[in-house]
Amino acid sequence: MDEVEIRLATYEDKKYLVKWLSDPDTLRWYPMSNEREIEDAANIWISYVKYKAVITALYNGQPAGIANLYLQHLKKVSHQCLLAIVVGKDFRNKGIGTRLIQELIKMGQEQFHLKYLHLEVYENNPAFSLYQRLGFEKFGEQKNFIKEQDRYRSKIFMQRKLV
Amino acid sequence: MNIQNDLDIRYSTVEDKDPLTKWLLDKETLKWFTVSTEKEVDLLSTNWVNFSKFNSSLTATLDNVACGMGTLFLMPYKKVAHHALFYIVVDPNKRKQGIGTSLVKNLINLSQNYFRHEFLHCEIYEGCPLQPVLEKMGFTCFANQEGFLDINGKLLNRLCYQYVFKRP
Repeated sequence: MDEVEIRLATYEDKKYLVKWLSDPDTLRWYPMSNEREIEDAANIWISYVKYKAVITALYNGQPAGIANLYLQHLKKVSHQCLLAIVVGKDFRNKGIGTRLIQELIKMGQEQFHLKYLHLEVYENNPAFSLYQRLGFEKFGEQKNFIKEQDRYRSKIFMQRKLV
Repeated sequence: MNIQNDLDIRYSTVEDKDPLTKWLLDKETLKWFTVSTEKEVDLLSTNWVNFSKFNSSLTATLDNVACGMGTLFLMPYKKVAHHALFYIVVDPNKRKQGIGTSLVKNLINLSQNYFRHEFLHCEIYEGCPLQPVLEKMGFTCFANQEGFLDINGKLLNRLCYQYVFKRP
């Protein structure tokens, strides 16, 4: 039976993150566009390992996806948090995204006592329906946020209450 | 009093960090920003004035004394480099004299004509006095996020506004 396990991420998981983000089909759902930008984003992402706010999904023992909570350290905004997620191209449609988000919701509630989780997703990203299914509601849309070869895409803002 | 004739707008320098920090530490001003302690304000001010090296920050002066600052926070990635987020603050003792409006107009000009941006955006919080100024200038709200800011247990929404430039 195929199995998905979730564990805390380690700094060594950065190589998977970079690998998955470097896939062009995956990268179109992120604001980065080249190796330097991916490296920069991956460094920020993985730095949250020290707060135990990054998780890795294993599929049959293989790293298959990573998600994190960008915990806020400023007191006025520390009750809410932006999340980010990536699932390796070869591991799509296996419920890994769902498991990762469910785990982030649980961590947000039980470990970090957050009141809200929010996320940003680009127009036409199939993950939008996953987020809706898991209780995230759209609260805004910024047209033309992404520009790639003169084609534009909106950024959609979504949030879920945790309490 | 009409101060418009005496008001000057120049590029910011790193030396503007001192007045910026002082304005941000004002209690009434601070409530409209996410920072709350001296250390947090210092970090924000440093980050803010660092954009002066890209010529994306403007300082308003009256009689050569800084009285406000507005900065385009340029986007770090190519796919989003066609727009910018801005922040603005006016000396608490010089409010309601059109300095904020002047700074925003100059930021629009800088963003559109120098950086060739396509739109400009900003984030404010529910009840912020900048909201009617933005709306009067043609900014439109594209996101309203519930409970973004927690001021001693009182939750305030985040409102995101943008101004789209018209191209010929």
